[in-house]
Amino acid sequence: MGFARSDVEALSASLNEPDWVLERRLEAWTWFEKMELPGEKEEPWRYTNLARLKFKLDDFSVVPAVGKESVVPSSAGSSWVELSPDRSGEGHQYGSTVSMTRPDMELDSGGVIVADIHTAIEQHPELVKPHLFSQFDSATHIFSALHGALFFGGAFIYVPRGKTLSLPVEYGCHITKAGTSIFPHTLVVVEENAEVCYLERFSSSGLGGSGLSDAAIEVVAGQASRVFVATIQDYEKGVWHFHNHRYRTGRDASFKSLVVTLGGKFSRTEVTTEILGEGNSVDMMGIYLAGEGQHFDFRTLQDHAAPHSTSDLLYKGALKDNARTVYSGQIRVRPEGRETDAYQTNRNLILSDNAMANSKPELEIENNDVRCSHAASVGQMDENEVFYLQSRGIDRISAERLIVKGFLEEVLGKVGRKDIRGMVEHLLEEKLS
Amino acid sequence: MTEPLLVIENLHVSVGEGDDAKEILRGVDLKIFPGEIHAIMGPNGSGKSTLASVLMGKPGYEVTGGRILYKGEDLADLSPDERARRRIFLAFQYPTEIPGVSVVNFLRTAYNAVHSDRQLGPLEFRKYLQTKMDLLEVPNSIINRYVNAGFSGGERKRAEVLQMAVLDPDLAVLDETDTGLDIDALKEVSAGVLKVHNESRGMLVITHYQRLLNYIQPGFIHVLISGRIVRSGGKDLAVDLEAKGYDQFRVELGLPEGEGTTEE
Repeated sequence: MGFARSDVEALSASLNEPDWVLERRLEAWTWFEKMELPGEKEEPWRYTNLARLKFKLDDFSVVPAVGKESVVPSSAGSSWVELSPDRSGEGHQYGSTVSMTRPDMELDSGGVIVADIHTAIEQHPELVKPHLFSQFDSATHIFSALHGALFFGGAFIYVPRGKTLSLPVEYGCHITKAGTSIFPHTLVVVEENAEVCYLERFSSSGLGGSGLSDAAIEVVAGQASRVFVATIQDYEKGVWHFHNHRYRTGRDASFKSLVVTLGGKFSRTEVTTEILGEGNSVDMMGIYLAGEGQHFDFRTLQDHAAPHSTSDLLYKGALKDNARTVYSGQIRVRPEGRETDAYQTNRNLILSDNAMANSKPELEIENNDVRCSHAASVGQMDENEVFYLQSRGIDRISAERLIVKGFLEEVLGKVGRKDIRGMVEHLLEEKLS
Repeated sequence: MTEPLLVIENLHVSVGEGDDAKEILRGVDLKIFPGEIHAIMGPNGSGKSTLASVLMGKPGYEVTGGRILYKGEDLADLSPDERARRRIFLAFQYPTEIPGVSVVNFLRTAYNAVHSDRQLGPLEFRKYLQTKMDLLEVPNSIINRYVNAGFSGGERKRAEVLQMAVLDPDLAVLDETDTGLDIDALKEVSAGVLKVHNESRGMLVITHYQRLLNYIQPGFIHVLISGRIVRSGGKDLAVDLEAKGYDQFRVELGLPEGEGTTEE
């Protein structure tokens, strides 16, 4: 068990990759070899002690014999809830296979590329090379280093200037065997005045053990583009999930991200939105439901490096049993960020005496001409609300469920897309029942 | 002979624990038959709202003596939702906000919980709800808003009456439904209550002031002071009270000035 340099070389060889990709992998591997598991003394990991959670990298290994396949497996497992039959593209990775398809109706939209990341590296290097790993930094920590060395699977979407993909592209990442790991890396490039909605989902079914999911996504949202990125993590309880989101937005872009975290034993999500053009409108949304034995850790950065932009972050979660959650978020306004409006809110609803939420907002403002605010709260369920609902015949458990749904409605109300919202509501319903 | 809907026998209720325990109701007796509207009137701190809370089973109130029989069943061990499913309804003095839950969703969930034999889907329920809204002249705008969130005082009380109409209880307890209403809103809310009332329903209207009773006109009036019903009578009693105030009873009963004003 564990990982070796030979895994990296074998993976790259099986994918028949160009040298520049192998070089990036090996550079990441060099970082990996130098790094250790982060400890509590490191500020970004202050409330998450992986050693105490009994995480060991040696418990995991790569899936043998990776390769590409053009056929979508017939079933994604019983826990897989279909979004809707209408998509601009659909992909999946299961263990060592990865596939991506596009419905025929979209084939005439000239210049749009929807592919798996490896096919894209092979067929569209001119589009991939400038952006792949341009934001993601393998040297961040040991998980980013391992990801950089072993990335496999993930989607590549390219939407040329002026094109709109009105239906979502959906990509599913599945862990199929206990003790294995997946490293999907998605790259979305949206050109000027183009539009896309991308949904990435993480799930497992009948795993019967632990798994490692070490994923990354990079999005380049061009000038006046409209981009919605949703990720939904719904793993079984044995999975350790690390996800690095890197978003970069150009002038007048409208950008929304939604992070839904429901499953896994452990989930660490790092989301950075770099606002590089003026006139941006950025929404960062998060929803989480943490229960027995689960530890979720969210780390966000709204990085304003251009004037006249707005970013609004809202992460809300409910905790029950002995769940632990950590939220630490930063708003950074660089000297160029004149007339920035930046908001950050994290609210936690605690449903049990044993659950605990940490919430830590932070502002770093280098320009006086800004409006910023942050708010954090951790609160118990209001017994007056429970009594009111009970007095109308609703039993206590249903009353609590209704209050949690109401609590999360503030985020769902901002989603805007009926298809994504409907799917998230459905998953929440299942998780709450 | 008709069975009484509600029988309250020598009811004693305390709040607080240990040395802090305080007896609020000190032997209340009351009987309500179907079709009857009773009013409980009393000054602040007399135990009016405690009675309403205890009838609904609100946590924090301990029944230390006596009992409440509803349709012949002792309510003691029933949770608030079990009482609601037996068709008891409480219109709150201060209705609670439920953020993020729309009135229409909330009401359908409640309706289906109370009427387990007659489940309604979203469309069926919406039609049923419309009949009640038309009856009470409640504007459409209210039902897509979140429960009581940002409602004015009048909207809250109107929404309580709408809930009562929708859930169709056998016993309705209205806890100071007149508070915070101007005279127009009071007329509307009272008219709504009367539209919902019928021969099979019992109502208990709790109020400090007589003005609500001008519109609702209960047949039975009880004066609650210091946790006891000190006088019961017909409509005339309310008029008498409005003229002379509650102090007359304090004098008659030999209670010190200000007695019975420590709670609520």
